[in-house]
Amino acid sequence: MSTAVDERILQSSPLKKLLARPELGSVVGALAVLLFFAFAADGFLNASSLSTVLYASSTIGIMAVPVALLMIGGEFDLSAGVLVTSSALVSSMFSYQMTANTWVGVGVSLLVTLAIGAFNGFMLTRTGLPSFIVTLGTFLMLTGVNLGFTKLIDGTVSTKTIGDMEGFPSAHALFASTLTVGGVDFKVTILWWLGLVVLASWILLRTRAGNWIFAVGGNQDAARAVGVPVARTKIGLYMGVAFGAWISGQHLLFSFDAVQSGEGVGNELIYIIAAVIGGCLITGGYGSAIGSAVGALLFGMTSKGIVFAEWNPDWFKFFLGAMLLLATLLNAWVKKRAEANK
Amino acid sequence: MFDTGAFGAAELITGPFRTYEHGKKGHRLVARFRTWAVMALTGALSMSLAACSSTGGKRAEDARKAAAAQGRAAVNTPRWTFAMITHSGDGDTFWDIVQSGAKQAAVKDNINFLYSHDDQAQQQAQLVDAAVDKKVDGIIVTLAKPDAMKAAVARAEKAGIPVVTVNSGSEESKAFGALTHIGQDETIAGEAVGDELNRRGKKKALCVLHEQGNVGHEQRCDGVARAFRGTLQKLYVNGTDMPDVQSAIEAKLQADRSIDSVVTLGAPYADTAVKARSDAGSKAEIDTFDLNAQVAAELKNGTLGFAVDQQPYLQGYEAVDLLWAYRYNGDVLGGGKPVLTGPQIITKDQASALAAYTQRGTR
Amino acid sequence: MTLVELTDVSKHYGTVRALEGVSLEVHPGEITCVLGDNGAGKSTLIKIVAGLHRHDGGTLSIEGEETTLSSPREALDRGIATVYQDLAVVPLMPVWRNFFLGSEPRKGKGPFKRLDTDLMRRTTREALLRMGIDLRDVDQPIGTLSGGERQCVAIARAVHFGAKVLVLDEPTAALGVKQSGVVLKYVAAARDEGLGVVLITHNPHHAYLVGDRFVLLRRGTMVGNYTRDDITLDELTQQMAGGSDLEALRHELQRS
Repeated sequence: MSTAVDERILQSSPLKKLLARPELGSVVGALAVLLFFAFAADGFLNASSLSTVLYASSTIGIMAVPVALLMIGGEFDLSAGVLVTSSALVSSMFSYQMTANTWVGVGVSLLVTLAIGAFNGFMLTRTGLPSFIVTLGTFLMLTGVNLGFTKLIDGTVSTKTIGDMEGFPSAHALFASTLTVGGVDFKVTILWWLGLVVLASWILLRTRAGNWIFAVGGNQDAARAVGVPVARTKIGLYMGVAFGAWISGQHLLFSFDAVQSGEGVGNELIYIIAAVIGGCLITGGYGSAIGSAVGALLFGMTSKGIVFAEWNPDWFKFFLGAMLLLATLLNAWVKKRAEANK
Repeated sequence: MFDTGAFGAAELITGPFRTYEHGKKGHRLVARFRTWAVMALTGALSMSLAACSSTGGKRAEDARKAAAAQGRAAVNTPRWTFAMITHSGDGDTFWDIVQSGAKQAAVKDNINFLYSHDDQAQQQAQLVDAAVDKKVDGIIVTLAKPDAMKAAVARAEKAGIPVVTVNSGSEESKAFGALTHIGQDETIAGEAVGDELNRRGKKKALCVLHEQGNVGHEQRCDGVARAFRGTLQKLYVNGTDMPDVQSAIEAKLQADRSIDSVVTLGAPYADTAVKARSDAGSKAEIDTFDLNAQVAAELKNGTLGFAVDQQPYLQGYEAVDLLWAYRYNGDVLGGGKPVLTGPQIITKDQASALAAYTQRGTR
Repeated sequence: MTLVELTDVSKHYGTVRALEGVSLEVHPGEITCVLGDNGAGKSTLIKIVAGLHRHDGGTLSIEGEETTLSSPREALDRGIATVYQDLAVVPLMPVWRNFFLGSEPRKGKGPFKRLDTDLMRRTTREALLRMGIDLRDVDQPIGTLSGGERQCVAIARAVHFGAKVLVLDEPTAALGVKQSGVVLKYVAAARDEGLGVVLITHNPHHAYLVGDRFVLLRRGTMVGNYTRDDITLDELTQQMAGGSDLEALRHELQRS
């Protein structure tokens, strides 16, 4: 009898597996947007245009991936946007003020950023407050600290340039260089982005930590009862977001030499939107890293596609909102169909 | 069915819809709601018909637009595409004026004019990249965050696209390889304000910064401080929250009675400062950077002391026009120095002439 | 050999007495039923055995050794597995991931250490089959299974991971008659594997079907402790329903 069952599964498996993927809705949506702009916007499909779109997507995607993991783990991080700026500021100011090799600043920044991530996770698990409140607090504090510290140390609201300091060229090469492939320039952030997607997918699907992430997001109490270290998993997730913020922050710093201390506010929502478009369940326990990457791509295509199509940018947010709704509805619909097929 | 006779007219209107709705309580409620809605609608309509304004409003605006639309290209150059990318946030009145200048020049010069903006440096740079990918014929860009725009501007140069910088970035413009810069030097503008305050015999001034982290704003206040012989204090407020701006200024004026002038850095904040002044019972003079219709009116009636204008319309207009001239004739203006559109000090005397221009959104 | 023995155990939350003087024995291959109405102290008892709370008074012995449990993990390590009524599983996760949650087998070295997914899938299927559960697809989210099936997966899971004592919190509470029967079948199967089972329930009929020992709780105190030979189903039902309480209720509800 059991062989008969197996045969039946084998027959329907590929299609069913595809339908059950969390990112399916966003992939369909991304294809639709790509086709749309391919027709509506001149030169959208040029290699250099696509490279610009990919760059825009990657700067969002680098953060959207860890934010998606966190969301699968059932939590939010509203401080993610300004944390990027904080990370860049720490790196730049430490190097400049200490007249240290830029790599020292980069290292210090990694430690500080991870510590802030750990603080978020620690506060969350220790106090039992909702992550919305905890990270809202961190968000506000960081916004203030970013401005206050920069003003205090540098006297202005942007940092001094570190472009002429030792170690800058190599750090620039790692975080902000441009690679030429077949005559087309690609920003190195695209590689970081892809690398993070692969790493996050591996963690989610093939490691014990991944199993725990799904479990703490899906049913925290059940996870705790079977011995999953809930607090450690969540703190790890927040540190993952911090790691992403560190990469983004270093990119910001090394591509522009100096950092504006007031920036980053509002980006946290963009990361969350990308993760949700990519099929992450806002209540946790379901989603994928690839989906968040597709969500970021959708975001990049829309924001730049509007420019290529020569539309009035005033409408950008409207398109984004419509896209978010459509993607989420499509997701819900696909999920329902997939479950009905069972 | 209805309680009072007053519903008579409305009942007449909704009558045909209601006929098959008799007898059910829910339907009666629906009918009553519909009656109210129809009454409100007819009321509003009749009122707007009866009280028709002879000045301003949509009709005047339409007339203006019709006049503008009649403008056609004054040149026979090919239809070039120029892109303007600014650091403006969403829905900023100042940038509307810049745009209207640019658009007017675009009509005259037969230019396909594209506008995009983002207040985050990285995103603004990406928008410039997108314009380069589009292979536009000219780029107009603001350098509010110059470091962030450096690479994108360089990429435009490499692609052979002429770049004109506007508004902010007078120091970096030349180094980045732009043709010219059109705008106001914020420090010079600040100094002009400081001089004017001296002329008016002020002793203690308050500089209200409504955007924390804006380098240009810091330069303005620093410029004021440099030229001003009295003492200048800085006050940071949250510009996206007007009640907060008002209460902050009010508290400051109450706390320090010796403040005799308040300088706001944007036109909308001048009016807020006026309200704060009256609530605080202070006699300080309110002066402001930039201009809008409200500021012009208040200059005229003496509520405000003076305004210093950087003529945003010119920044848009000249940028498009200069790019056209470069494309057509290889002309460059400024001789390697920024072309200044400001500061222009506007007092009560000039204000009445300007009122009409601010009304139509070009000053 | 007694697997778990509670002697005169009590638990207070501040000034509230949640449990007082409860004794209980769990033997291998036997089912000990804990019966009581809502608020009788059943869940407190379960939390003490599962390691979620420490007891204040009395002794808790595991395999003859007196001890205090400080965490669910410690209880698990000492062979006590608890299956909770509502929080047994993570609904959106596939059956096989749920099955191994918290004790995932891995292969590979260093940074390439990864889940042995083939082994996990295969083992899940086999372990379920051994308990007599035949699932079509271990990849389906466990939330798509029926309540009874979910309980069964959780029981199979405890058995597979070598639990010596299985604590079941109201496994039949939310189930229909047929589903309850299925679950009780797997409880019996676990007993036949040689496990000691603690079955918490408020249904004397279910308890009497499989139970070897019966502990009755009321308002935090133990009101009876019987072996199967000591008591009949009728007596159990009577005791459970609160004896004299029920008489009073009957009187109250009589048509006047």
